[in-house]
Amino acid sequence: MKRVLGENWALPSLDARNRDFFTAGVLTLQQCTRCSHVQHPPEDVCEACGSFDLGRFVSAGNGRIESVAVVTQAVHLLLADRVPYAIILVSVADAPGILVAGNVVGKDPEAVAIGDHVRVVFEEARDPRTGAVLKIPQWQVVVA
Amino acid sequence: MHGSGAVAGIGESTYYKRGESPHTEFQLACIAIRRAVEDAGLQLADVDGFVSYTDQRNTPSRLARALGLKELRWTGIPWAGGGNSMAAAVQIADAAVTAGYARHVVVFRALAQGQFGRFGQAAGSGGGGAYMAGPLAWNGTYGILTPAHQCALHTARFMHDHGISQEALCEIALACYANAQRNPRALRRGQPLTRAAYHASRWIVKPFHLYDCCPENDGAAAAVVTTIERARDLRQRPATIAAAASGIGPQFGAFDVATLGSAHYGQVGKHLWEQAGCGPQDVDVAQFYENFTGPVLMALCEMGFTSPEGLEEFVSGGRLVGPDAAFPFNTSGGNIGEAYIHGFEMINESVRQIRGDSTCQVKHVERALVVAGPGYAPGSAVLFGAPA
Repeated sequence: MKRVLGENWALPSLDARNRDFFTAGVLTLQQCTRCSHVQHPPEDVCEACGSFDLGRFVSAGNGRIESVAVVTQAVHLLLADRVPYAIILVSVADAPGILVAGNVVGKDPEAVAIGDHVRVVFEEARDPRTGAVLKIPQWQVVVA
Repeated sequence: MHGSGAVAGIGESTYYKRGESPHTEFQLACIAIRRAVEDAGLQLADVDGFVSYTDQRNTPSRLARALGLKELRWTGIPWAGGGNSMAAAVQIADAAVTAGYARHVVVFRALAQGQFGRFGQAAGSGGGGAYMAGPLAWNGTYGILTPAHQCALHTARFMHDHGISQEALCEIALACYANAQRNPRALRRGQPLTRAAYHASRWIVKPFHLYDCCPENDGAAAAVVTTIERARDLRQRPATIAAAASGIGPQFGAFDVATLGSAHYGQVGKHLWEQAGCGPQDVDVAQFYENFTGPVLMALCEMGFTSPEGLEEFVSGGRLVGPDAAFPFNTSGGNIGEAYIHGFEMINESVRQIRGDSTCQVKHVERALVVAGPGYAPGSAVLFGAPA
């Protein structure tokens, strides 16, 4: 899938904390291997039990839009022809308490609403610096 | 328990539109500090501490050399994202003079965005080929790049949950512009804003119109904090630091499910009123930091001035405008109308209200409140009082 904000828009710089999220191709969050707490963004410590032993939680990828704002003035040259675009915060059905940021795929940004149910999709990109293939989570509104 | 400090002197540079300052940022800082010290009736050699906030570039040692201090005993800067720690800076100075760590602490803010670029500018705005590294990756990858975007997401949820209309945001902007018309320091003086012009202005990020966003400015402002006892012997009527609070919790992130649609001011209000031994109903005049109008609405509720259900009425019908307002609010024009000095102009305006020489002077001011930048956490607030 093409990128919502354009093929030239800035890519996340992959690191140990975000590599799973941005490359796995399934919605992958961080989970404590001791107490099973799921947290996002990933941290060096479990925020529930203090453990340093942190692993992965693979979500089914269903969520709900908890807030939406529509960016109408581009603040970067690379986004000049991408406005308006919707920025959203999504709660993840099988990881209560977590908010994931994203954009909405395939819908008029003005029509996106709080309470919309969404499903994760992935936009693909190759990092020209490293050759790494990214699968960046995005969200598609699910019609009830 | 709170400190026993007071503001003994205030000063500011001329305020400029972004890039129009004839002075460097450091020169602006020196101007504001010299004026605040002179206003207090002190000498620069009496100053022995500096406090600022959030990435202040003008360091204490450089200022101490340039201004001819004899010694520097106290420096501090609260951790935070932006203007949210403006009142916390006053709190740190209050703690220092109360504990006796220093005698005369200057709290200040200086910024020359023409010289250094915009505070809060978009991540990666240097040009093409940018990467979103570290914490930026989680939001920047999705074009969530500026404080406006972050505050818009909170505001949109707040409006959704409580049925708040665009008019409520408009009222904040209208009040700031209206009050600025009385203030010779205000950059928006001579440019009154109408409701029609507000609604006709372009969107920046819905739900924020252009006029929901404060401008970018160059300037500096400073205040001298010392003990109430020492301040009584100085030139000006002191503004006592009746209470000061900063904080956040138990959610700490910019975006948490439990605090989405919040300005994160619940804890600040609780601690402030406990210390002060009074409540919102006892405040005579208030300055609320408006980098954007939306978070002010949330902070008004979280600080206890109104409820989401009563908010539209609380802000409408001119109830925020002028010295005789039902709720005297942002009487200098604030960030939107006077100048965006990261809210420090609100500290000086509150001191003026206590002294009785504001250009939008409220009658019989006993308590003047400043609520620092809502929307980013941890927040802070300071309540100034008239001396006993």
